[in-house]
Parts: sequence; structure tokens; C-alpha cells
Amino acid sequence: MKGTNLGEFEELILLIVGVLYPDAYGLSIRQEIITQTGRKAAIGAVHSGLNRLEKKGYLLSKLADGTHERGGRRKRLFHITAAGKHALEKNHELRNSLWNQIPDLAWKNLPYGNSFQ
Amino acid sequence: MVTPSNNHRPPKWADRFLAWFCRNELLEEIKGDLHEFYALELGDKKPWQAKLFYWYHVFHFLRPFAIKSRSRQSNTLTMYHNYFKFAWRHALKHKGNTLLHVLSLGLGIACSIFIFIYLKGELSYDRFHTDVDRIHRVAIDFVDSEQRRIPDATTPPALAPSLVKDFPEVASAVRLFPNWGNKFLLGASPEKKFHEEDFIRTDPGFFDIFTFPTLHGDPAKALEKRDQIILTRSAATKYFGKTNVVGENLMQYLSDTTVVYQIGAVLEDVPLHSHFHFDFLAAIPFENLEQNWGWYNYYTYIKLAPGAEITSLEPKLQPYFESQLEERDYYNLIYSQPLTDIHLRSHLKWELEPNGDIANVYILALLALFVLFMSCLNYLNLKIAEVSKKYREVGVRKVFGANKGSLIGQFMVETLLISFFALLFASLLSQGLFRQLRDVLGRDISILDPENFVAFLMIGLVVVVVGILAGLYPAIHLSSFKVALAVKGLFNSSGKSTNGLRRGLLVIQFAISTFMIFCSIGVYQQLQYVKNVDKGFSPEQVLVIENIQNIPNQQSLKEELLKIASVSEAGLSNGVIGGLNWTSSLGYPDAFTMNWVTVDPGFLGTMGLALKAGRNFSPDRETDKSGLNFIVNETGLQQLGLTYEDVGKRVKMTEPQDSTRDGTGTILGVVEDFHFTDFKSSIKPFAFFYRESPQNYLNLKLSTNDLAETLQSIDQVWSQFSNQAPLDYFFLDQNFAELYAKENRLSNVLLFLTILAILIAVMGMFAIANITIKDRTKEIAIRKVLGASVSGVTFLITKHFLLLVLLANLIAIPIAYYGMQQWLDGFAYRISLGIALFLITVLLTLSVAWTTVGLQSFWAAISNPMKSLKEE
Repeated sequence: MKGTNLGEFEELILLIVGVLYPDAYGLSIRQEIITQTGRKAAIGAVHSGLNRLEKKGYLLSKLADGTHERGGRRKRLFHITAAGKHALEKNHELRNSLWNQIPDLAWKNLPYGNSFQ
Repeated sequence: MVTPSNNHRPPKWADRFLAWFCRNELLEEIKGDLHEFYALELGDKKPWQAKLFYWYHVFHFLRPFAIKSRSRQSNTLTMYHNYFKFAWRHALKHKGNTLLHVLSLGLGIACSIFIFIYLKGELSYDRFHTDVDRIHRVAIDFVDSEQRRIPDATTPPALAPSLVKDFPEVASAVRLFPNWGNKFLLGASPEKKFHEEDFIRTDPGFFDIFTFPTLHGDPAKALEKRDQIILTRSAATKYFGKTNVVGENLMQYLSDTTVVYQIGAVLEDVPLHSHFHFDFLAAIPFENLEQNWGWYNYYTYIKLAPGAEITSLEPKLQPYFESQLEERDYYNLIYSQPLTDIHLRSHLKWELEPNGDIANVYILALLALFVLFMSCLNYLNLKIAEVSKKYREVGVRKVFGANKGSLIGQFMVETLLISFFALLFASLLSQGLFRQLRDVLGRDISILDPENFVAFLMIGLVVVVVGILAGLYPAIHLSSFKVALAVKGLFNSSGKSTNGLRRGLLVIQFAISTFMIFCSIGVYQQLQYVKNVDKGFSPEQVLVIENIQNIPNQQSLKEELLKIASVSEAGLSNGVIGGLNWTSSLGYPDAFTMNWVTVDPGFLGTMGLALKAGRNFSPDRETDKSGLNFIVNETGLQQLGLTYEDVGKRVKMTEPQDSTRDGTGTILGVVEDFHFTDFKSSIKPFAFFYRESPQNYLNLKLSTNDLAETLQSIDQVWSQFSNQAPLDYFFLDQNFAELYAKENRLSNVLLFLTILAILIAVMGMFAIANITIKDRTKEIAIRKVLGASVSGVTFLITKHFLLLVLLANLIAIPIAYYGMQQWLDGFAYRISLGIALFLITVLLTLSVAWTTVGLQSFWAAISNPMKSLKEE
């Protein structure tokens, strides 16, 4: 369902907003994504994701004072809403539940690479 | 200059760009993040890298969430958005009209795009060689004792090496020795042999002058060895099925021996736009050419040294040439021509390939402009005519406060929309045409090719300008009347000012159509005349077998073939009438160029050449078979200064050459004059010699309609004699028709464009008539009520249009007449422009106009007057 679905990149941003609490804003989130996952993301992509999450109601934001490097421009700090937490929990639970349902046998003699040979 | 302090700040232009597209409410935080990021980046990157990354991230903000929505920003944009909406609705409401506009404009544009791109190809011949400006061909005009000049493309073999040796301006020179009508029987194995024509012998310097990309091997080295050969990609594929065949052997099969060539290199195929083509290149195999100033069978190309001017070399050529020859009374004239001029401007005898014609380029360009001009005029005219429908709309707009500017904007958006669709339609159509005609054009052409895109843009620009004009006129016209009257609908379109302009445009359109009709009928008549006129011999049903020089016993082959019931006559020859023949200087005391072929006694009968005096060759008289004893055509007899009474007598025909050849000879017979070249030149002297030496062609007169069976029988006989050589043949009349291929093409193009022009003019007239009739609906009704007849009413409306067409005829026909006279002057044998041509043109244009307008007026005249009268 559009509007409530949490995309993979969105989930990542949402989690990192949590990790960085209370100092989560566009650039710090991007840096955290790079250090935690090694993934490169354009600043624009992060902003776009934050914008979507806010529209879905998973994030709230407020403007905070700027620093010298920013030329005194304010930054937008994000924190997770109850709905955001709920969405994360749902994803988390779904993942755990699926993980637990995998029979032990499936982990035996795991093949390497792309083929079963 | 980038100063250190500058590097601390992010690129200014990137920030401006961001501020331009980014939503204001997001700008602060985004800019803040970016600046912070930049400061971080500066820590571990070079300033230019940091700047680059900054730009990269700025561009990454070009996402829907961050971009300003423009419509909310600008009032003007909202207005144009609104105009566009109206224009779109208008186009949909008048679907028929919209379609008519798009079609008529689009057809004209498509056709001109097509022609211009085709012409671009014609103009780009030979331009693919590097330093093409420095490459020239040296050619010669033969001069006879009466100082007549016969231009010829061929030069002596000693010329090229001497020019390099004696002129520092000439960096390199190369000779080309083409196949001269011979066919080479080549094969990679005895089972796979083909006759090849495109075999050129040349010097190692070939690649210093010409640029043909190499696929494999070293082509320049291959030309230094006589046992090596160079193939093109397609030749290599034909014989070996692959392209990398360097080092393999290719055999040339002669009647008694086999020559083995080693393949030294493989080239890309010769581009289409080259004035000569070849599949095989090899070194020149002849000796002692360096001193030979007497043979004229080599083509000489030179490349000037960098900085040298052809204008300074040109005057030195003739004195130099004369100094190389023995003293004589008159010398042939030597001169040079730029390589890039050869295709369109050189029409010498013995060109390597039939060339194009700059006149045809001009004619086609003119026609394309005509059609483009006409479709634009037509569109303009239709739009102006539609003004009448807009009075009320404009009135209402004005009441609501629209000013002149916004009216112009409205109309312009409307017309530009149509222009745009027409352009789109035209591009698709011409692209489709190019795809359809890929085989004819010999290559893939696309309007998206960078070199064609400019032409396309130019035409696009014309269309946009027309769109603007078409919008501008009604807007200015309409913004100058009283609102109240307009809203009440008290105007009708027959206002004097639009009417005059409309009629003027219509006359121009019909004048162009008339011009084109006149010309295409004229060209067609001339072509029919040329095709049907008595040629003096009958090439119909003559099958010519080529390459019989390798057949050991030609007489028995001929006799065996004559046993086939449908082969009525047969004759051997070393040339083809209307194709290749030899020439020699003959005549005493005044020498002239005599065309000649060697034949056997069966030849005259096979060709249907009629003897006017004397007799045919006889195999029993040995004197017929040697010396200056020959049969000549009437022109030849006259040029020799002889009459019918001299036939059979021994007369002096040329300067004595040596003790055995005293220059006397006998005319055995005289044949009627016959056309053996195109009809652009008058009939030239032609002689037939009887020789028993092996000939090149066997001509068969067939008397059947069952070609398949006859060909099968011929092939059977052939295989008994041929030693596996393939049977190559053609029909003489088809060969003859190729002499007119250029005129035929012109005629076809002209016909096509004429139909297009008429179509566009008819569409225009149809729409204008439609509007006129609608304006006069009430008038027609009242006239009918008062007792006017249907024919009277129809005539009343049609009359105006017919007068316009007559006026157009009056303007166009004299111009067309003059143009046709010019064109026909190029033919030695031509039609005269008769009264019929004028009548047909006038009647055709009138009847087109009559049907277009007459039918509509007729429908208007027979409609019930009550219906139109009660509408108020």
C-alpha cells in the first residue's frame, strides 16, 4: 500500500535517525549511512528520503540553530514519531518471524556461489 | 583566477543554480547541509575535487520534492499554460481543420527535408579524403586540326611521374588504370569464379593521395609488388566468407593461363559518395610507361605540397606538356580540376563513373524550396481565413480585458502548436522514407545524423517562423476592431483586407503548381520522344553475351547458338552500340574523331542497321578483313568529305603512316545514321571494321517471347564452350535506357513533387472555398428564394476562384516556358513546346480548381434555403 509502505532505503534512514538521536539532520545522516553501511548516497537522495518519511508521518522535524560551517544557516533536525516506531517494529517483527521460521536443515551444507553444483 | 580565499567558499554558480530551482522553504537547510559538506570535503580533497563534488550534489537535488513548481511562481507562465489549454481545445474541436493543416504543412516539410538531405549527399562527394583541397585531377581536351576540343578525362601514363619529378609543388601523383570494359575472371578456387569489373590498377602512391580505411594488412606495400592484390571488405567476403584474408591467394583465369595474386591488404568498402569505386586494386603490370606520352588511357591525380597553390601550377602545365611532346601544329590542352568538383561539374568523355549534375542539384533545391514555400503559404492562408471564426471569441476576450499582447500570445501558441505537430509528422514521415529507400540510396540516412541535423533545424526554424507569422497576422488584424460589433457577430470574413491577402497567397500557390505541372509534362514529353524516336537501329530483343574473349572458338559458338529456333540472327563485336566503343583519328586532309567497333558480317543484321549504299562485309573477300576497308554511317561519310559515289572506290583517308599503310582505304557500305549515345549530342561518325580476331561480345537477335526457355537453351550451348566461365548477358535496350536514367529520375521526382504541390494547393483552395461559402450561406439562400438557379449560384462562387487560377496561369506559364526552353536546349534532339502543352496545363489547373470549389458550391446551392435562413 502506498503511503504506509517502508522502502529499504527509507527504513535505513529511519533507523539512522534513531541512532543519531537527537542530532539527526541531512548531512549527519548521510555520513552515518556511509560509515555504517559503506553505501554512497547523494545528499539529495537523503533529503528526498527524509522528505518522503516526513510526509508519511514517520518523522517530525524542527529547525535548529546553524553552525559556522553552514554559514549560520539553520539545520532541520529529525526525530522518529510513534507511527515511525510502529513501522520499524512491524518490519523488525516480520523479519524475525520469517527468520525463525527457517528450518535448521536449510542451514546445513550451504552451497557457495551462484549454483547448486 | 582561483585565489586561496575563494576555495573556502563553495562554487558561487552552483549556489545560484540551486537557489534558482530549489523551493524557497527548503533552500536554507539544503544549502546549509551542502556548505557543511563542502567544508568537510575540503579537509581531505583538493579544492577542485571538492567543487566538482559540490556540483554533483547540487545536481542531485533536481528531484521533484525540491524543485519549485513554476506555475505558482509566474503569472506569465500561468497565462501561457492557459493559452496552451485553449489552443489544444481549439485543435481538438476542429479536428478536420487541424488534420488538414498538419498534413499539408507536414507533407511539404517532409518532402523538403528529404530533398535537402539527399542534396547534401550529392554535394559531399569525395570529401572524405584527408587534405581534399590539395587533391586535383589532371585532364585533357583533345584538339583536332580544326581546333575543335573534345574534353577527355584520360591522360598519358608518363604524366603522373613527370609531374612529381619536375614540379616541387606536386607532392605526389598517382595513375589509375581501370578495367576499360574488360571483365576479369577471378576466383579463390576453380569452382568459385566471378567476372569482375571494378578492378583498378594503380601506383603505390595511391594511398598518399586517397584516404580509404584499411581493415587488414599494409595496402601501400601491396601496391609495390606486382603479384599482390588489395580487396575491399565486400570482395573478401564474397570470395572467402571472411575479411582477414591477407596472405591468401586469388586467381585470375585467362583463356590459356592462370595468374596467382597474393592478397596484400583488405580495405573498407569504398564510400558511396566517391566518384570512383573499386573492389580490387593492384599494381600496374605494364613496362616502359615513364616515357609514354602517346597513350591516353590513364587517369592522373595529383596532391599539392602543403602551401602550394593550384593557381600557380595551372599556367605551367600546358607549356610543360608541350615540351614533352614532339613538335606539331596543334597540341592537346591539359588542365586540372579539383577532386571535389568532379562529381557535379565534370562531364568529360570517359569519366570513371557517370557523374551527377550541378544543374540537377539546383533544380531539385529549387523544387524543394517551392514545395516548402507553398506549404507554408498555404498554412498562412488557411490561418488567415480562419480569422473570421474568431471575431466573437476575440470580442469576448477583449471585453474581459485582453490586450494586444495577450491576443498575439494566444494566436501564436495556437499556430505554433500546429507547426510543432506538422514538424513532428514531417520528421517521422521523412525518417520512414529514408528507411524505405535504404536500398535506393545505398546507405542508412537518418535526420538524427549530426550532419543532417543542421538542415533539419533550419527547416524547423522556417516552420516556427511561419507559425509565428500565421499567429501574428490575425492577432494584429483582430485587435483593431470595435468590441461591440464583434461580439454581436456583425463582422464577416469577407473584410476587404484579409480577402486581398488571401487571394494573393492563393494565386502564388497556384502559380507554383502551374509551373510544376507545365515542367513535368514537358519533361515527360521529351523523355517519351527520346524513347520512341527512331534510333536508326533496333536494340529491342537483342541479347548481348559479354566476356566471350576467353572462348577459343567463337565462330562455332555463334553457329551453335544460331541453331536455337528463337535466335534469328547473331553477330560478334568488340564493343556495344550505346555502350563502349573505340575511337580513332581519321580523315584527310582534316582529321576528326571516328567511333568504331570491329564486327563480323552478322552484326549489321542483328542490330537492324539498314544499308543505304554499298554492301555488307563478306567472309569470302580477304580484303574486307584488314586495312582501312569499312562500313560507315551517313555522318561519317559526310565528315570524310565523301559522297555515295565514292563508295567502293579506293580513296585517301588519312596521312600515310608508314610504307605498308599509305592512308588509303575503301568505303564498303554506308548505313543509315543511328543514335548510339544519348540525345543530348548530335549523331557522331561511326565505322564498322570486319576482323576475324577474337571479339568481346556476341549479340543475338531473339524472336520469341518465351525468354526463359531461350535463355536455358543458350546456357546449354554456352556451357559446352565456356570452360566453367559464367554466362553474363544483358539486353541492349535496357542498356540503352540507362543513358536516360538521370532524366528519368528527374522526371519521376518532378512528377512526385508536382502531385504534392497540387495536393497542397487543392487543400488550400478547398478550405478557402469552404469558408467563403459559409460566409455567403445567407446570400445564397436569399438568391435562391428570389429564383436563382443552382448553376447560377454555383457559377457565382466558382467564378472568383477560376479567375484566380487563370491569373496564376498567366504568371507561371511564361516563366515555365522559359525554363523548359533552357532545359531542352541541352538536347540535340528535342521536342518543341506545342500549344497542347499550354492547353493541357491550363485545363488541368482549371479543372482541379473547378472540382474543388465547384462541388462545394454545388452542395451549397442545392441545400434548402429555409435551413440557412432560419438560423439567426
